[in-house]
Amino acid sequence: MTTYARLAAIGLGRAPGRTLTRVLVLGAAVALLGAMLLFIGHSLRTMTASTIRSVPLDWQGPVSSHRAAVRVANGVAKQPGILQASPAATAPFAAAEHQAPVGRIQAGAGAILAVPRDYLSHIQTFRLLHGTLKPDQIVLDQQLAATLQAHIGDTMTITPRKGTKPQRFRLSGVAIVTAPDVVFQPLNPVLGPAPAQPPANVVIMPLQTFARKIASHLGTIATASLGSSALPGAQTGVQWQVQAQVDPAKLTGSPSHAFALATQTKNRVERSLPGQVQFVDNLADNLNTAAGDALYAETLYIMLAVPGALIALGLAYLAALGTVERDRRELALLRARGASRRDLSVLASIESALIGIVAGLLGAGVALLAVSRLVHGGIGLTLGRALLAVGVCIGLAFTGAAAARVGASLAVFRGSVTEGRRSARRTGKPLWQRLWLDLLALAVSGFVYYLTARTGFSAVVNPDSNPTLSLSVYMFLAPALLWLGATLLLVRLRGRALAWVVQRTARERATTPAGFLLASAGRRGPAINRGLVVIGLLLAFGVNLGIFTATYDQQAQVDAQLTLGADVVVTAPPGVTAREGLETKISHLRGVAGTTALDHSYAYVGPDLQDIFGVDAGTLTNGTALRDSYFLGGSAGQMLDRLRSTPDGILVSKETITDYSLAEGDLLKLRVLDRRTGAFKVVPFHVVGIVQEFPSAPKDSFMVANLPYLERVTHDPGPNVIFVKTSGDPTSMSKRVVSATAGGGWIVKNIREQTVQTVSSITTVDLTGISRIEEAFAILLAAGAMALFVSVSLAERRHEFATMAAIGASLREIAAFLWSEAALVLAAGLVLAGLLGSLLSEMLIAMLQHVFDPPPDHLAVPWSFLGGLAGAALAGTAVACFLAARAVARLPLGAILREE
Amino acid sequence: MTQVATRAALASCRRVSVVYGEGPARVVALDGVDFELDPGESVALRGRSGSGKTTLLHVLGGLVEPTAGVVEWKGEPLSSLDVAARAQIRAGGIGYVFQSANLLPYFSAFENIAFAVRVAGANRPPAPLELLELVGLAEKGDNLPAELSGGEAQRVAIARALAQQPELLLCDEPTGQLDSDTGDRVLSLVDALRHAFGFALVIATHDAEVAGRLERQVDL
Repeated sequence: MTTYARLAAIGLGRAPGRTLTRVLVLGAAVALLGAMLLFIGHSLRTMTASTIRSVPLDWQGPVSSHRAAVRVANGVAKQPGILQASPAATAPFAAAEHQAPVGRIQAGAGAILAVPRDYLSHIQTFRLLHGTLKPDQIVLDQQLAATLQAHIGDTMTITPRKGTKPQRFRLSGVAIVTAPDVVFQPLNPVLGPAPAQPPANVVIMPLQTFARKIASHLGTIATASLGSSALPGAQTGVQWQVQAQVDPAKLTGSPSHAFALATQTKNRVERSLPGQVQFVDNLADNLNTAAGDALYAETLYIMLAVPGALIALGLAYLAALGTVERDRRELALLRARGASRRDLSVLASIESALIGIVAGLLGAGVALLAVSRLVHGGIGLTLGRALLAVGVCIGLAFTGAAAARVGASLAVFRGSVTEGRRSARRTGKPLWQRLWLDLLALAVSGFVYYLTARTGFSAVVNPDSNPTLSLSVYMFLAPALLWLGATLLLVRLRGRALAWVVQRTARERATTPAGFLLASAGRRGPAINRGLVVIGLLLAFGVNLGIFTATYDQQAQVDAQLTLGADVVVTAPPGVTAREGLETKISHLRGVAGTTALDHSYAYVGPDLQDIFGVDAGTLTNGTALRDSYFLGGSAGQMLDRLRSTPDGILVSKETITDYSLAEGDLLKLRVLDRRTGAFKVVPFHVVGIVQEFPSAPKDSFMVANLPYLERVTHDPGPNVIFVKTSGDPTSMSKRVVSATAGGGWIVKNIREQTVQTVSSITTVDLTGISRIEEAFAILLAAGAMALFVSVSLAERRHEFATMAAIGASLREIAAFLWSEAALVLAAGLVLAGLLGSLLSEMLIAMLQHVFDPPPDHLAVPWSFLGGLAGAALAGTAVACFLAARAVARLPLGAILREE
Repeated sequence: MTQVATRAALASCRRVSVVYGEGPARVVALDGVDFELDPGESVALRGRSGSGKTTLLHVLGGLVEPTAGVVEWKGEPLSSLDVAARAQIRAGGIGYVFQSANLLPYFSAFENIAFAVRVAGANRPPAPLELLELVGLAEKGDNLPAELSGGEAQRVAIARALAQQPELLLCDEPTGQLDSDTGDRVLSLVDALRHAFGFALVIATHDAEVAGRLERQVDL
């Protein structure tokens, strides 16, 4: 074995140029693969981490009493993997009252959250703006504090239930309840999480104070009462509970892995406290959703990345071809000296291993550097992950080197050992050509695409409500078979089409410089085709990647606009907008193109709670953009006209129209929250149209009504949302809005942060990192591939070029054969890439059509990236031709002409 | 084997040495060789394999630069010329015929000759078809080298060399891969053409019979 290793090392060292080329090409291929694996691993871990972070409260376990809550919380806190477990309670109150300097102010019904003092250590259901939680005192939600005009130190009363004695409390703080829909949801472990209508008013108080002063006035909700969740937001008694937070450090890996770990932890904790508690698992619910998104992300990565990786390995094969002639001579020499086929195989394996180690180390280094530079925020690399990446890269490089060597030298291997049996070798077409598998693959691809386009088959089902991913092998067929069919067809053609075109152009016997170039290129079909296959497919991969990611980004922007509502959105507590004159202040800021104010609240249609938007039909389009496709049965303008002409008019979803057998003009009675009383009341509306999408509206059903009418019936003190349309950068506009309106506790968001925010929407899978990596590699590989093609051509034709030099051809005349052929391959490759890349992008977009909401009108073409890609290929060609011309000048003519 | 130049030689070598490789791999291909060739003269370079025949041909044609010594073409030292100038000299004055023909594989027989005509850039270039007729292969003009027999390929190579209207034709074992009849016909053709066109001829061979057909033999 030592002899083999020495022989392999000597062989590689004797031709440092070709060894370096093989190492570099293989290193680049492995770097691309390694970078993608690192990114995907990092991306999945990030999805897990961000999902865990986004859950304000992991577990809520209903229990029967205060004492039980304290006992069970202590038991849960002792379990491994639990960061915090606290006893808590939620309960309704009937009224709140404050004697303000302007007089006595009353607020309607609301909800109480009772927690221990150390509650905020790891649980983030509310955030204190001012003050703190003190014994026998209370903290008000900022909205209620604003309504009551209460300040820290003021005294106020809370009435637990109608007819009970109001309890006096001093105000010790003001807070924002960040997840009221989760905190106050009805708890039923059998049904799982059911986020509910948040209460209008929220009071937070110490658990002991609550138990002593409030709980006794209210009944306790039974632990597993189904009735407790029948009406979200309509809690009637005290819900004692244990709230717990799982240690995020224990939840590692992909979302599905973290989901399994979280479920195991919950089961273990419940088992260790038999019969005492069962949890509503908000964490597992979110991780389960994230696992679906992760599956979708992996699918996207595979569809975008795998072709690139395979083509990169094709480059390694091309690099190996450059040395095939020399390999043939060396193998023949070894064979003549008695080496067996096994000896040659061992030698080739050791040579591949040596190249694999060096190329693997190089590839791993480039991959680690690329992901740390190109992925925003780095990838959180640890020593273990880095070592794993290096190991995988070396393994891949060895496999790639061996495969390329065997692929390129197979005929040589076989020839050298079966020289005497040459007549027995098969000379016919390979099986796939005889079966016409290339055309079959293209036909099936086209058919699947036709079915996709015709039937609307998509990776995403039920797009109108919560989007759910549905993956099947079927959806991969169209693009996968297109890649396969196109590759095989190119191999079958072996450059015949190109040769035919060239020979048609040359027409007759060559006697002119151009004629000689065309004649040569026309007869080098297989060699040119080999380059065309790799370069054309590589460029097609780049075009596909570029167009798809640009379209994806474009739609993510549109989606973000639809999700957020406008370029900049300001959300403020009811009454604040009107009282502070926020809309007027904002409208005067530099860079504001227009504003509009809305009221976002909730209403019941029958038992269904839906979002309802009160809009000013006259100014709505000043602050946001509406598309006609958002509405059914009329344009956006017509729908706004209908609202304007019908004060109690309402636009409802198609689902509502169907479920409640409604028609345009029908009376629709809704139950809306009356802010004055804190209770729901029935209000009549008239249906004026159907709305499918609306800025800031959720994916499921919602309604749009006139703001003045809605405010009148709900007694809302004014709109709580302002849409701002900007004429400049939304981020800086957002900052200007914040500084101009500082100090009110409102929230300002802009479309940029919305685009990068990972929420539950399926389009928020961030392709930025992987597309950056792949685009960078595509550009590098395009340049490298053209350079490689030129250098392989030079290696293959060195004898021919030496002969030309011997008969007196000038350097320029010889070099022309190289660059003209490279130009031909580049031009044909660009045409192929344009056609194939666009078609693949079309297919991917069609497959994922429902991911985009609304679907894209057209593909986005990233001209700068495509220009860069073509420019890189051109630059690679130019540099390689320049270097090749210099190499031709230095060819050892005497030595080459002696070669047989 | 030392000769003294007494009149204007077409090509000459003075104390030319060529060494390939370094260290243990060092090979001395030529060691202080003097050689002179007159216009129109025919010379056979004889010697066993590895004696330096091919290297001397390459040195004369400017394909290999000597490690030491001086090579002159019409009295001008080749070593003073750059690659392009040496190529220009070959294009217009030195034709090559290699042992294995070395036809350009992607050009037809006609185009191999036409390419040499183009490279030579003569004022009154010969017609490729006439050269093909001269070597008796007019009907094979569209055949690619792979479609020609060894003898045919060698005749095309001779026609290609003639396309350069050479003053010197360098032939490296031109019959080495041909059977004796074909080899004989090729040599007869070369001889006839030399008389017709008046070029000087140097043939590297280890075959005494081939060498005997030429005016002078030089042993290496």
